[in-house]
Amino acid sequence: MIPAKKRLNTLNEHWEVLALLFKRFKMVDFSIKDLQNAIKQKQPTWNNERIYKETNRLLNQEIIIPLAKSSQLEINRDIADFATFLLQEEHLGLAQEISVLVDDLARLGNRLSNAGEIEDFDDLRRFSRIMDDRVRKIIKLFLHNENAILNIVEQAKSNNAIQSLQKRYKAVIEAFDEYIEPMLEMVDIRGDFHACFTLIEQQISTQIEHIERSGKAYSDKRMLEQLRTRILEMHLIGRESLRKSADMLMPLREELRRNNLITRQAAKVLSLIRKNGVDNMLSAVQPHFVSDAQKYSLGQQRHIVAYMASLAEFEHHEYQLPEQDDVPAFVTPNIPDYQDVKAQFAKRFKKQRKKPQPLLQFLDESYPELEADEMLFLYQKLVSDNTLHISQSDKKARINIAGQHFSLYPFNSEPQADKAEHE
Amino acid sequence: MTMTQINLDALSHLQAINKKLVAGYHICEQDTLMWQELDQQIEAYSALFTALGHDLKHDSRGFYYFASDESTPNMGKISRAIALTIYILIEHFANTGKDPMRALFDEPNDLELMQTLVQLNKHLFDQLEIFSGSDLRKDVYLRMVRLGLAREVENGFMLQAPIHRYIDALMEVNEETFLGEDEQ
Repeated sequence: MIPAKKRLNTLNEHWEVLALLFKRFKMVDFSIKDLQNAIKQKQPTWNNERIYKETNRLLNQEIIIPLAKSSQLEINRDIADFATFLLQEEHLGLAQEISVLVDDLARLGNRLSNAGEIEDFDDLRRFSRIMDDRVRKIIKLFLHNENAILNIVEQAKSNNAIQSLQKRYKAVIEAFDEYIEPMLEMVDIRGDFHACFTLIEQQISTQIEHIERSGKAYSDKRMLEQLRTRILEMHLIGRESLRKSADMLMPLREELRRNNLITRQAAKVLSLIRKNGVDNMLSAVQPHFVSDAQKYSLGQQRHIVAYMASLAEFEHHEYQLPEQDDVPAFVTPNIPDYQDVKAQFAKRFKKQRKKPQPLLQFLDESYPELEADEMLFLYQKLVSDNTLHISQSDKKARINIAGQHFSLYPFNSEPQADKAEHE
Repeated sequence: MTMTQINLDALSHLQAINKKLVAGYHICEQDTLMWQELDQQIEAYSALFTALGHDLKHDSRGFYYFASDESTPNMGKISRAIALTIYILIEHFANTGKDPMRALFDEPNDLELMQTLVQLNKHLFDQLEIFSGSDLRKDVYLRMVRLGLAREVENGFMLQAPIHRYIDALMEVNEETFLGEDEQ
């Protein structure tokens, strides 16, 4: 047994080397030469003897271990996991990892339920513990994957245009296809995940009820309740984590899609331009700019040449006479003969009247079928006829005839006394 | 928008803004002073320019300009040259394994790049009477600067947000936008 403290000291001393190995080789194996080179790179002042000694120290303390039946080496898995945690160098797991654990959870749920039915409390406790362990693992995976996605996103965003587009987004697309989409399907409210948890929750609740009713193994009740809470929590954490991950990846994926679309379109348009010419292809879509300065200036010589050229081709539009049928037929105005109107007027105002009578009112009453303009025509004829006795009012009045409103100083018939004299 | 009164005293950059906009210039965030004033007084400016018969457009991608639905023949030619350059740039960046949209706005366009573009697309640039990198610089890049589509930096030109108008136009091109010889 190697004392923990001793190992920690070695880890501390060689942390730089380990981090380098970890970054360079990820999870694959490497040779003893690679290890020594790594040490030399980090400690350039050490001589070969010292490097050899330190290499052995790492091997003896099982921080670096040889692969079975090979001269290759690898970082001890437990140390690698620890390093993963320390370096936040997390790799995105597969959705299947989680779904396997969830399936296992469902199986354990059934066993737990069976154990409860036959009142085998040892088994009940055992399964509950295992389930608890699985739930923790799932939660860990969720968080781990969330961190991994954060790393992917940061990598894709960082480091500008130098990196190739393909490479930059490969990880994003993979993360989406391998993890986010299948997971989202799983945690969907109608998905397997949800159904499974509902079932397990029911099973556990039944057991809790059973314990409450029978009073047996009362100490296990709390354990089951905790398990149930943890499963519920796991579900929530999972959904939250997936939502966050999808939110982080989505903009990148959209960007990628749009970029692909633009690149493809640019290639297509350029090929069309090569075939048909720049002006033919782009004239219809080119953005326009205001250019007042140009609008009002004469322009360069070639503009004037172009203008003259278009003048030479100028043709008058031929004037087309309207067809016979297009002309609307003449409608005679429906005005009664003026002499009749005059006679009517004279007859109406022959009788004694003390007050002057408005002319328009007379017209409106006598010829209700006339249009307003026709009525005004008669009005002005009557007004300008100097054989009639009328006078203009000096008060402005609003008059309504044939549905139209007029505002005018109306002419009225003069009181009859005068009129009688003249006649 | 109901605007009963425009306080002209508050529009301290009116003259500069008007001068730029009527010349077809796009004011974007890099034009700090004018941009800030437009941003803060947009109602007043909008009302004022509308009354003067202009159509002040604010594009949410970060620029203001006067919209127009036709160009003078000369402006039209410039616009097509700019369009062609942008589309060739996108293709060039994609071919060299870069993220085209990012490279478009993040990479300075220097004379060397211009020469490469013209060499690789001689056939196309010939149609616009652009025969060399320095022609491209003079006929396209300097004009983009005058329209606010690019700014000159130490080692070339940086494209700016109004380039999005050309990307929108790019997405509109298809077989139907082709004008036959007789329609020209």
